[in-house]
Amino acid sequence: MIKEFIKIAIKSLKTRPIRSWLTMIGVVIGVFLIVSLMSLSEGIKGAVMQQLKMMGNDLIMIFPGEMSDMATMMAGGLELTEDDMKAVKKAEGVETMVPMNYKGEAVRHEGRVKTILINGVSWEDGMDILQNDFGWTLKEGEWPAIGKKELIVGSALQTDLFPGLETGDEMVINGRKFIITGVLNSLGNKQDDSTLTLDLDLFKDITGERKGAKMILARVKPGYDVDEVVENIKAELAETRKRVRGSDSPSFSVLSSEKVADIVSNILGMVQLAVIGFASIAIIVGGIGIMNTMYMSVHERIKEIGIMKAVGARNKTITTIFLIESGFFGLFGGLGGMILGFGLAKLVEFGVKTTGSFYLQASITPQLILFSLAFSFLVGCIAGYLPARSAAKMNPVEALRYE
Amino acid sequence: MLEEIIKLENIWKTYLLGKVKLTVLKGVDLVVKKGSFVAIMGPSGSGKSTLLHMVGALDIPSKGKVYIDGEDISSLPEDELAKIRGKKIGFVFQQFNLLHNLTALENVMLPMVFQGVSEKQRTERAKELLSSIGLEERVYHRPAELSGGERQRIAIARSLANDPEVIVADEPTGNLDSSTGKKIMDILIDLHTKDKKTIIVVTHDPNIASYTEETINIMDGEVVKDGVLASKYLWKKKND
Repeated sequence: MIKEFIKIAIKSLKTRPIRSWLTMIGVVIGVFLIVSLMSLSEGIKGAVMQQLKMMGNDLIMIFPGEMSDMATMMAGGLELTEDDMKAVKKAEGVETMVPMNYKGEAVRHEGRVKTILINGVSWEDGMDILQNDFGWTLKEGEWPAIGKKELIVGSALQTDLFPGLETGDEMVINGRKFIITGVLNSLGNKQDDSTLTLDLDLFKDITGERKGAKMILARVKPGYDVDEVVENIKAELAETRKRVRGSDSPSFSVLSSEKVADIVSNILGMVQLAVIGFASIAIIVGGIGIMNTMYMSVHERIKEIGIMKAVGARNKTITTIFLIESGFFGLFGGLGGMILGFGLAKLVEFGVKTTGSFYLQASITPQLILFSLAFSFLVGCIAGYLPARSAAKMNPVEALRYE
Repeated sequence: MLEEIIKLENIWKTYLLGKVKLTVLKGVDLVVKKGSFVAIMGPSGSGKSTLLHMVGALDIPSKGKVYIDGEDISSLPEDELAKIRGKKIGFVFQQFNLLHNLTALENVMLPMVFQGVSEKQRTERAKELLSSIGLEERVYHRPAELSGGERQRIAIARSLANDPEVIVADEPTGNLDSSTGKKIMDILIDLHTKDKKTIIVVTHDPNIASYTEETINIMDGEVVKDGVLASKYLWKKKND
C-alpha cells in the first residue's frame, strides 16, 4: 500500500516540477550548510588531533600568558624567562626541559631571499624530543652536529620555497652562513613544513634575542603522572615569579598534550554547534516553505481528495498520501543539500591540498549522512502534518463538488 | 424474494448556507432491492444528487435512517463510511472523476489499493476489467489522452474494482453525445442482466430512465408517487 502511495506522491511532485524544486531549495540550503561545514570542521579536528597524537602524551607545554587570553598569546609579546626555565627544570617529575623559540627572518639561498620562520631548539636536550615525541624524521641528509653552524629545513623549503635546494647547500641568515645538513619529512601541515630549525644558541646569535623562550617543552619522567607533573610545574613557576618579581598573578599556561586536544576539540565543538544552530534555522524556514506548498497542493487537489474518498480512501490514507509527499520534499531537499555540501567540502579539500597550508581531509561520516537525511525528512513530515490533516478532514461531498 | 440492499427511512437533509437553512430532502422513503435497476429522476435542484449521496454512503442524513445491506449507517463516522463505500458501492460520475495523473490501469486499481489488495492481484483484476469493456489497448494511457466515452468506461471499470453490490451512477451520460451515451447505458444494462449488479442511476433524462426497471421521481425534496404527474412534469421540463 505504502509503495502505491509513494508512487502517487512522486507523480504529484513531478506534475509541478518548478514548484517542487523551489520548495526544496530551503531545505537544500540548510542541509548544504550543515554537511559542508560539519565535514570540514570534523576534518580540521581530525588533522589537529593527528598532529597532537604524534607528539605522544608524556609531553608538557609551557606558554607565557594565560590560555584564556588568546589575543595576548597570539601577539607573542610575552616570553618565558631564564628563571622560568629553571623553575620548570626543578619541578618534580620533569625528565628533560627544552626551551623553544621562533622568529621570522630573511633567509638567502643562492640569491633568493625569503622570510621564513626559524625555530630555535636546544639541540642538546631537544633533538631527542623532536625525534621521539614529535616524530621528526629525515628525508635526506643527517641531523646537525652540536656546536656547528648547521641547520635542517622543512620539506616545503625544498619543494616550494627554494626549489632545487639540496643537502649540503649554504644558507645565509642575517649575514651568517649555515650548512643545510638535512631535509625533514613532511610534518603534516604546510606551515610547519615551511620552517627551518637550528640550535637555540645559533638562534640567539642571529636574532639577538639573548634571553627567554616563547615556549618550553618538558618531558615527564617515566612512572610519573602527567597531570601531577603539570601541577608541580605550575607550583614551581608560581613560586619563582612571586620570589623574583613579587607578583602573584601566574601569567603562564602549563598544558599536557591531552589538555591541548581538549581545548581544540572544545573550540571546534562550539563552532560546530553554532553551525548546526544556524543551519537548523535555514531548514526550519525550508519547512515553512514546504508547509506553504502543501497547503497549496491540498487546495488544488480538493476534487482529487473527494474522488479518493468516494472510492474508499479513509482519512488516515489521505493523511499518509500527503505526508509522504511532504516528507519527500524534505528528503529530496536533504539529498540535494548533502550532495552539494559534500561537493563543496571535497572542493575545499582539493583547493587546500593544492594551494593551501594545511593537509585537510573532509570527513564524510555515515552518521552525518544519516542525520541530515533523517532530519530533513522529519522536517518535511512535520511541515506537512497540518496540511495533510486539513485534507483528510474534508467532507467527500463538498470535495467532489469543488471545481 | 429479492432482498433489500438499500433502505431509506424518513430521510431529511438540511444544509446551512450562511444563516439560511436549506432543506433539500424532506422525509424521503426509498427501498432498493438487490439486483434491481433503478432510476432516480428529477429536475435540477430537486435533491436527487443529495439523495444519491445518501444511497452511496457519501454523506449522512440530518434525520432519518439509511440501511445498506441491513446496516444502519446514518450515524457512522467518516472512516466507517469510507470502508462501506470502498467495499459495497461503486461510483460513476457525470464528470468521470478520474485522477488525471494516473494511467487508466492505475485509476482502476485505486479502490483496490485502499482495500489493501496485493499488487499482483489488483493488476490482474484491473486489466481484466479494462479488457472486458474493450479498453485493453488504453491501459497505460492517461485520462487526458482518451475520449469522453473511453473515460467513462474506465470510470465504470473502476467502480467494479472491488466487486461491489451496488453501482451508483450520477448522470453517467450527461457529458457524452447520445450515441456514446447509449453505449455506456448498454454497459450498465449488461452489468445488471449478466452480473446481477444492483444499479442506481440518477438522471433528468427520461430516455435514460426508460432503460431501467423502476423509476423513482423526486421533486422539491420529496418522492412523487403519482407517476403520471411526474412524467408530465418531467416531459414539460425537458421541452422547455
